[in-house]
Amino acid sequence: MLAAFAWIEQTRPSLFMREDFSAYFIVLIFHAWGMAFLVGGGMAVSLRVLGVAAASPLERFAGFYPVMRVGAALAIPSRIALLVGYPAKALTNWVFALKFVCLGGAAWLVWRMRVELFPLVEAARALPARARWMAGIALLLWVAGVCCGKLLLYTSHMLTVS
Amino acid sequence: MSGAGWVRRMTADIGEFGLASGANAVMNTAWGWPIAECVHFVGICLLIGTVGLFDLRMMGAVHGPSLPTLHRMVPWGVAGWLLCLASGAMFVLAAPFEYVENPAWVIKMVLIALAGVNMVIFYRTVASRVRHLPEDAPVPLAARVVAVVSLASWLGVMTCGRVITAFRPLIE
Repeated sequence: MLAAFAWIEQTRPSLFMREDFSAYFIVLIFHAWGMAFLVGGGMAVSLRVLGVAAASPLERFAGFYPVMRVGAALAIPSRIALLVGYPAKALTNWVFALKFVCLGGAAWLVWRMRVELFPLVEAARALPARARWMAGIALLLWVAGVCCGKLLLYTSHMLTVS
Repeated sequence: MSGAGWVRRMTADIGEFGLASGANAVMNTAWGWPIAECVHFVGICLLIGTVGLFDLRMMGAVHGPSLPTLHRMVPWGVAGWLLCLASGAMFVLAAPFEYVENPAWVIKMVLIALAGVNMVIFYRTVASRVRHLPEDAPVPLAARVVAVVSLASWLGVMTCGRVITAFRPLIE
């Protein structure tokens, strides 16, 4: 595995990510914007299901899903670019895997809210009791995912192999 | 005292307050800085997820809940901002020399002030009209302008926050 990381580190995109000062920071900025829109939108939907702004019809929060998709469209490619720059730093760190489990789980739960809960509200039916559990767990997973992302710097064992 | 001398003096005073208040000691524990960073970004996500989405809705860039009901989520954005403020203050108190003379941090503070002034303008001018806006009614132009300034300010704040590391002054 380390040999593969060493090979990636010698590719031109990887060298560019590490050596071009602007490229690295531009990618970091896009990642922060993307994460803020993805996680922020997910948190807003989760808070609404938990009862915040209850006067607002839940199904209208569907309008925020495109914002989350834009957030993901910024966050995922920028994360891949960072990964190409420093593959060993992230892929030898279990916190990186935990970040993806948390964010993936949170995104899945928010998507399930869209396909399971929104149609119930549109049909004027009450939300099931587990709706609050879904939202509460999603909220915790968003926070945990963000925290794992921030802890990567402090928990990585190596920066590069080569 | 010259401008540079005044800034150095202020940096030293903040550092002394950081030591006296215990903020420096807390931040220099193994988990002080990482936890503050986590709190800072969770706060940003709350801010963008509520105030940012409110701005996008007011700009007409997204469809969604009506503005009066969506406005009820703004207190969560304020809570996010308070998390950012508390954790950000810890960063500055623990290492003022890395921030006070850092151009990225200075611009960040200017943008936060701009967002604050913009918010005051919003609440003093169009907020009451927005709060009573009928469902799907067109948003007043002034409110759209306020929303653009607000969102641009917060994205600028995030941008400056990301590049603070790149502009850290060298310690003499």
